[in-house]
Amino acid sequence: MNGTTTVSLVGVGGQGILLAAAILAETASAEGLDVKASEIKGMAQRGGTVLSTVRFGENVWSPVARHADVVIAMELLEGCRGLGLLAPQGTLVCATTTRIVPGSVLRREEEYPDDLPAAAAARGVRLIALDAEALAREAGTLRAANVVLLGAASAVLPFAAMSWQRGLAAAVPAKILEVNERAFALGRGAVSNEEVGP
Amino acid sequence: MERTLFFSGNEAIAYGAVRAGAVFACGYPGTPSTEILETAARLEGIHAQWCVNEKVALETAVGASLAGVRTLVTMKHVGLNVAADPFMTLSLTGVNGGLVVVSADDPGMHSSQNEQDNRAYARFAKVPMIEPSDSQEAYDFVAEAFALSEEFDTPVLLRSTTRLSHGRGHVIPRVPVELEPRDYVRDIGKYVMVPQYARLRNRLVLERLQKLRTRAEETPLNVLEAGTADVGIIASGVAYTYAREAFPKAWFLKLGMSHPLPYRKVARLFQQVSRVAVVEELDPFIEEQIRALGLPVVGKAAIPADGELDQDIVFRALEPFVSRRPPRRRRPVFPPAPRLADPPQPAPGLPVRPPVLCPGCTHRAVFTALRRHKLAPMGDIGCYTLGALPPLLALDSCLCMGASIGMMAGFNKALGRKAAAAVIGDSTFFHSGVSPLIDAHYNEAQGLVIVLDNRTTAMTGHQGHPGTGLRADRSRGPAVDIHKLCEGIGVRCDTVDANDYRALDAAIKAELDAPGLGVVVALAPCVLMVREKAGEIVVDDERCNLCGLCLDVGCPALGPRGGAVAVSDVCTGCGLCIEICRRGALSYAGASGAGAEGAR
Repeated sequence: MNGTTTVSLVGVGGQGILLAAAILAETASAEGLDVKASEIKGMAQRGGTVLSTVRFGENVWSPVARHADVVIAMELLEGCRGLGLLAPQGTLVCATTTRIVPGSVLRREEEYPDDLPAAAAARGVRLIALDAEALAREAGTLRAANVVLLGAASAVLPFAAMSWQRGLAAAVPAKILEVNERAFALGRGAVSNEEVGP
Repeated sequence: MERTLFFSGNEAIAYGAVRAGAVFACGYPGTPSTEILETAARLEGIHAQWCVNEKVALETAVGASLAGVRTLVTMKHVGLNVAADPFMTLSLTGVNGGLVVVSADDPGMHSSQNEQDNRAYARFAKVPMIEPSDSQEAYDFVAEAFALSEEFDTPVLLRSTTRLSHGRGHVIPRVPVELEPRDYVRDIGKYVMVPQYARLRNRLVLERLQKLRTRAEETPLNVLEAGTADVGIIASGVAYTYAREAFPKAWFLKLGMSHPLPYRKVARLFQQVSRVAVVEELDPFIEEQIRALGLPVVGKAAIPADGELDQDIVFRALEPFVSRRPPRRRRPVFPPAPRLADPPQPAPGLPVRPPVLCPGCTHRAVFTALRRHKLAPMGDIGCYTLGALPPLLALDSCLCMGASIGMMAGFNKALGRKAAAAVIGDSTFFHSGVSPLIDAHYNEAQGLVIVLDNRTTAMTGHQGHPGTGLRADRSRGPAVDIHKLCEGIGVRCDTVDANDYRALDAAIKAELDAPGLGVVVALAPCVLMVREKAGEIVVDDERCNLCGLCLDVGCPALGPRGGAVAVSDVCTGCGLCIEICRRGALSYAGASGAGAEGAR
């Protein structure tokens, strides 16, 4: 609202959500925008859900928002949950082939969701689905799946390529920068190559 | 009926507690509270013990309350600062047997380093505040406080001050209160204050406060006393006696239960008289709440906000006010009940993803061994608090940092047997587990303390602590040895490798069979700090009948696939599942039927 864009990053502890959020925040800063970010990460190491929110614009007041314009989901179930965070007309960027199955599903008490495209369509959400792990492996490490997703999200975020470069360089440790730059490019390329939902 | 007695307020509180059926009392000495417990220690029918500090005293009292008995805990005002951690969350968990916390305040600082007004704690913790004004009330109100505690499922704060505690007056003894026994009922939603349960309890606390306010309107502890002059005085505690003597013709609203404030009783006083004053020692606790109703009162503008009062001070302070022209009458505006936030709405149809113990975490082995025994395991704060949740269900409580040992001690003292154990992490042990261990030893509490020593402060991201010597700047300092520390205290201690399930199981069993108090240190570095995999675990699909025994320990690496259990790639090879399986269906790859004979 009021010219402020909200991006929420969701996933499971250990998936690199905080690094992706840091890159995004640095990129927005490189554009000369005001940025606020917040995260709930107390349970990050114990397999709980992690949520990080980055907001940018001319003048950002609140660090949180009820609805996001873009949700970046590192995992399918969290992507389904992330639908609830999206504003109407929002975009969900989701690693739809990544499944981290919670205990209740392992124990067959609950069912893992299997129809994200339909759920997204029902909510009028644009879904960018990709095999982030495969692209990350192609880039050189599975651990870069977070940056693959960020690359895909860059297709719908209003930042110049130069700003993304600066954002990556500012947030990613030097010795893994190159592999992450490759991951970012692969993610970005995947969106233009793919049929993107409504 | 017995003859009239002549008691100090402190003696009256002790006798009142016994009359109310309290059988457990503890505290830490501090003027002017000390004689309450000293008196209780002389009385029949109640166990009284000094604890190592006020925090441990309150945690011990909570343990006794959970065991089902009425429990009194005493301290001076600054002692409640020490006990504030358990006190604040105790408001959320509530009690089982009634629990009354006596705070003896010291206006004038006769023997204290400050003169804080502990009525603020009642408001802070959203619990009832009882304020007797003389020895008879001290004796009587204790029973009221215990009844309130059980009825509203809350700790009750009873405030004395130096002049009540150390003043004397006649007390007519009353018939002892008859009590039904209260059994301990395991209830993790009530006693394990992890975020998801604490959020729900907190809503109950806010609702409880509204119900308590209704009670404050009805209770005979809050009495409107008719006068003949056009002056009303609102007072609580000893301040009431000063005001009463200074202004015998005034109307009074005497508040024996000063929190939550009975707004409508206050308004009724304002209907009777045109001038109202609040007489209270120290803070404008009552005055500010009345001003918030939009009603004009005289309070701290006339009555000193520091030091003790007496009738002379009160008379001189209010004399000009009594003869002044009364203020224009105003109607009170009662604050509406506060709105509560919308409860969190889980996404419908989607599986929840609660935090879980990591694959290979050795806490899981401890819990698996511990839950074989019929015990109330008191928990503490750390990763291992997750062991309270399904499917492990291995801990009964989580109150605050370091509470487990004191709660265990109080629980077992109250029941006279080893009915509870304590589970505490290494970092938490150093934080505030050493004092209650010293206390449990000193008071000869029975019990088993399990220290989960994973060589780090794991939950918050692997910070160092005195047991490791690792400091914030990653430099190494001298380390404290938990085993030697326990032995230095004089407590029996057994250190076992937490990766060795059978040794762990045997140590726990041996300790539970032994008399008195003992510690088992379950030692193994946090699995997140151990990078290499201990081995590849394979499933013999022919032997596995999917009985669920191994799934029941909540390992994220195990799940059913087809008619058997499957091991996922997050497995660290800890081997607990091999030990648990009774059919020898799980084994390390290459080892032939390693677990074939199964665990006991």
